[in-house]
Amino acid sequence: MTEKVGAIGSSIPRRGALDRLTGASMFSADFRLENPLALRAVRSPHSHARVLRIDTEEASRMPGVARIFTARDIPGKNLTGIINKDRPLLVEDKVRFVGDPVALVAAETEEAAERAAGAVNVLYEVLPAVYDPADALANEAPLIHEKGNLLFRRRVVRGDAASAFSSCAVVVEETYRTSFLEHCYLEPDAGAGWVDADGTLVIIASTQNPHYDHSEVAALLGVEDGRIRIIQAATGGGFGSKLDLNMQGFIGLALYHLQRPVRCVYSREETFIATSKRHALIMEMKTGAGKDGRLHAMKCRILCDTGAYGSYGIAVASRAAVHAGGPYEIEHVDTEVLCVYTNNPVAGAMRGFGTPQVAFAHESQMDLLAEKLGMDPFEIRRRNALRVGSVTATGQKLEASVGIGECLDAIKESYEKARSARSDRGDSPFTCRGVGIGAMWYGIGNTGMQNPSTAQVEIDLDGAVTLYTGCADIGQGSTTVLAQIAAGTLGLAPDEIRMIVADTKLTTNAGATSASRQTYISGNAVRDAAAKLVDVLLTEAVDLMKVPKNSLAVEGGFVVYKGDTDRRIAFSKLAARARRKGIPLRWQGYFDPVTSPLNPDTGHGEPYATYAYACHLAEVTVDITTGEVTVDRVVAAHDVGRAIHPEGVVGQICGGVAMGVGFALMEEFKPGVTASFKDYHIPTANDMPEVVPLIVESSEPTGPFGAKGVGEPALIPTAPAVLNALSDALGKRIYHLPANLERVLEAANKRG
Amino acid sequence: MRSDVRYVRPSSLGEAVGFLSDHGPETKPLAGGTDLLISIRSGELKARYVMDVNRIPELKGIAMTGEGLSIGAGTTIAEIASSETVKRLAPVLRKSCLSFGSPQVRNAATIGGNIANASPSADTFPPLIVHETIAVLSGPDGERRIPVEEAAAGPYKSNVGSRELIVRFILKPSEGRFFEFLKIGRRKTLAIARVSMAVLAEKDMRGAVGFIRFCLGSSTPVPCRIVEVEDFLTGKILNEAVVAEGGRLAAEKMIEISGRRSTTVYKEPAVKGLFNRLLYPMVKND
Ligand SMILES: Cc1cc2nc3c(=O)[nH]c(=O)nc-3n(C[C@H](O)[C@H](O)[C@H](O)COP(=O)(O)OP(=O)(O)OC[C@H]3O[C@@H](n4cnc5c(N)ncnc54)[C@H](O)[C@@H]3O)c2cc1C
Repeated sequence: MTEKVGAIGSSIPRRGALDRLTGASMFSADFRLENPLALRAVRSPHSHARVLRIDTEEASRMPGVARIFTARDIPGKNLTGIINKDRPLLVEDKVRFVGDPVALVAAETEEAAERAAGAVNVLYEVLPAVYDPADALANEAPLIHEKGNLLFRRRVVRGDAASAFSSCAVVVEETYRTSFLEHCYLEPDAGAGWVDADGTLVIIASTQNPHYDHSEVAALLGVEDGRIRIIQAATGGGFGSKLDLNMQGFIGLALYHLQRPVRCVYSREETFIATSKRHALIMEMKTGAGKDGRLHAMKCRILCDTGAYGSYGIAVASRAAVHAGGPYEIEHVDTEVLCVYTNNPVAGAMRGFGTPQVAFAHESQMDLLAEKLGMDPFEIRRRNALRVGSVTATGQKLEASVGIGECLDAIKESYEKARSARSDRGDSPFTCRGVGIGAMWYGIGNTGMQNPSTAQVEIDLDGAVTLYTGCADIGQGSTTVLAQIAAGTLGLAPDEIRMIVADTKLTTNAGATSASRQTYISGNAVRDAAAKLVDVLLTEAVDLMKVPKNSLAVEGGFVVYKGDTDRRIAFSKLAARARRKGIPLRWQGYFDPVTSPLNPDTGHGEPYATYAYACHLAEVTVDITTGEVTVDRVVAAHDVGRAIHPEGVVGQICGGVAMGVGFALMEEFKPGVTASFKDYHIPTANDMPEVVPLIVESSEPTGPFGAKGVGEPALIPTAPAVLNALSDALGKRIYHLPANLERVLEAANKRG
Repeated sequence: MRSDVRYVRPSSLGEAVGFLSDHGPETKPLAGGTDLLISIRSGELKARYVMDVNRIPELKGIAMTGEGLSIGAGTTIAEIASSETVKRLAPVLRKSCLSFGSPQVRNAATIGGNIANASPSADTFPPLIVHETIAVLSGPDGERRIPVEEAAAGPYKSNVGSRELIVRFILKPSEGRFFEFLKIGRRKTLAIARVSMAVLAEKDMRGAVGFIRFCLGSSTPVPCRIVEVEDFLTGKILNEAVVAEGGRLAAEKMIEISGRRSTTVYKEPAVKGLFNRLLYPMVKND
């Protein structure tokens, strides 16, 4: 198959970019429905309380109120969750966090809904609550769920860490902590819905996973699959939080009972209180190395606070366990992660699923080891970096595309320059400068789980090609990349591919837009479908051109003879010929990465088919009198296998750095305190460093055109690099994120 | 509830004060709305009337007058930041306005709203205080003039009566002196000041401090001039040790006023540190 020049590796204009720029894109809240009802949830003010009575009488009689729903109105199964089902759509017996929904108001206006929501009378019996995961594991701790407060435990064991430490020249042991984070996507959660003439409940949603939404809503309502249709609207970011069922279930419930158009649009405050957070982790990590800097042993105990419900907690715990050692070869590993319920807000998926947290720990450990050994932080990483043939902590042998060494090499020159320049203090006697490296690895796709994607490619009789994919583009650009992959396979220009995207009536399951999986997994499904269609076209052409199939290629809408490109037959003609013979013009693609489940006791197995790698170099200036930090520059090298759309990769890297700076220096969601952007700080343009993205392409043989993924990796190395740079500047390390004004000034004042 | 709020828009000061004398206690003036709309939306605000003061000509404008530099309460932060007169006669105010919020906020927010809102971290407070500003209020009993620091009674508690409006501010102009405004925020922009400071100073012929006005913001219930620091520095040649002692005094005074709180752990060293940075150019230039 030939690749159409320009299809792969070229930064073509993004699909839908013009619509976004002109405001033509339709986000969920933009749909103009006929006389829609507004939905508003009544949420618990308590973090743990039994619901004794919900009195909706008075509120129901208020002007404009159509109906108020409680758990009793849910016709199907009132339990949701993508991994473990533990979360009711509307609480029946007890609330488990501040924000847990107990009732849902449908009213003629937003204002009427809000007013009625305030008038619903809920009688609570407040229960003792627990906010600390260690406390939650204690025997006498209040029980949040019947099965106990320990949701999940993941161990990863290799070799014999306990005895290996004794043979280490240096050992460092520290405890690291991170905070809850809010995703802060630009578009607050929103959805709308109506009932089609045939009775289908149509739900428009801001979502990362329409097919999951579909099955969940069908189960909640106890209706047949075919009665639900989820359509992803233009989505203004998700970063993992829109993987949960947020407003989709509310809309489904209201449609089911009221058969009238409805809207459900969260305010920013509601997204803060109601939707998931990044898990706060407590990580005790012990790492040992030989005199030569070689890592021998790592032992790690992690407490992962998943809050009131599971959401993606199990996935976060599992991934944190697998990635805890970093992109290095370590013979002896002993990792245990406990994922624990508390009465904090629900913690779920957020860009990186626990890996950003563990990267902060393992990269701090690397610098601490280097310091003890008198070795350069670059050198210790280079020595231990995974390579082809390395065996990971789960016992997986890495066969190809292990680009961490190349990433390190890519930043080397910048690193050396920065190191030698950092000693000059600049023009202020109050500042000092530092340089730090952060590295990471990231398994593409779900951890040790089957997570296939599907796609269809169809050609019509005039030769036009349509790609059907269930993959939700939430701003990361998957629609463009999948079009490029289809086009690259079919020898067409990407803009010649018509796309039908993320509509459960018209497309099949592509799985979640999460885990950096869509380019690799859905990309492969698209490539598979397109390749089957190409095979049909070539086969038809063989009959007509009387030349062997391997002498033919697709190009510009034709099958051409490679020996003489003037000999060509139009796709349309070949499609017509296939149709006459009863050969399908629509082909199904399927791909599931080769993984194996992890052994429950040892964690052994092949959690992912491939990994992305990256390292960042951060240069910072610290004001030692006030604790203010400026991140001056980040050089970010990312092994993406192959950059299908280089500008898209660069965009992910720059956005990832922004998020990483926030994680490192300022972001913290304090349960019960943080309410909105008023008290939650994300970086502004002025907080952004200069970013130098370096794309490393260590081709992945099983990837579409060699591609892996970059969405989450983009963020992961930034905070570790910034924290290492801070420690370089201050001579004092910070073990608790964010490294805010208070922590930085404290460290500055403690330095020797 | 939101729809119960009634909106009025007087077109002269007389009309506005007339309305306030009848309905003052149930009325909230609306200038840029950058504070007020937040409390309306959150339901905190229980006012019956919102009185838009943006069409009152008496609240507008920047001019040097016989009394001093006059800045209308309805002047936006952006207008102050771009005023040549302010740049010349009150550059420290200009500097605080340049780092205020974001461009959108600066275009809407007014200086009168900033003072009337009485936030301890209001950015224009310290510069106005070092300029020994007089706030001119107007009410049913006529005009009332108070030092600007008396415009606030405590955090978010204004001394402006419910039947009064702030009309304008009169600053003592200060041309050619050393000035500085610094603030620490949790990020580089669009951040509430954790600590802020303003200073106006001048050296005498000997090179010692001949004149100094220093105000601490975000650290006490109302931003305040710290005379102890001014007195200590006056007559001294500034060097690092002297400035450090000034910073220590500033921090000490802050703790005296605000008491020790959980935030003091940070604010005490930060006030000292920021003070060093504030006056460093005066040390360095020797
Ligand atoms: C995103 C954002 C960023 C911000 N950043 C900053 C910042 O960096 N620094 C800072 O100091 N503040 C900041 N603020 C707060 C706010 O913008 C300022 O306090 C602003 O000066 C308020 O002015 P306004 O004209 O918007 O006042 P309004 O919101 O209209 O009014 C504020 C209060 O003053 C009263 N009032 C208004 N005018 C008068 C008058 N003439 N007489 C009597 N009472 C009056 C109102 O009734 C109300 O109580 C920020 C706010 C937002 C939303």
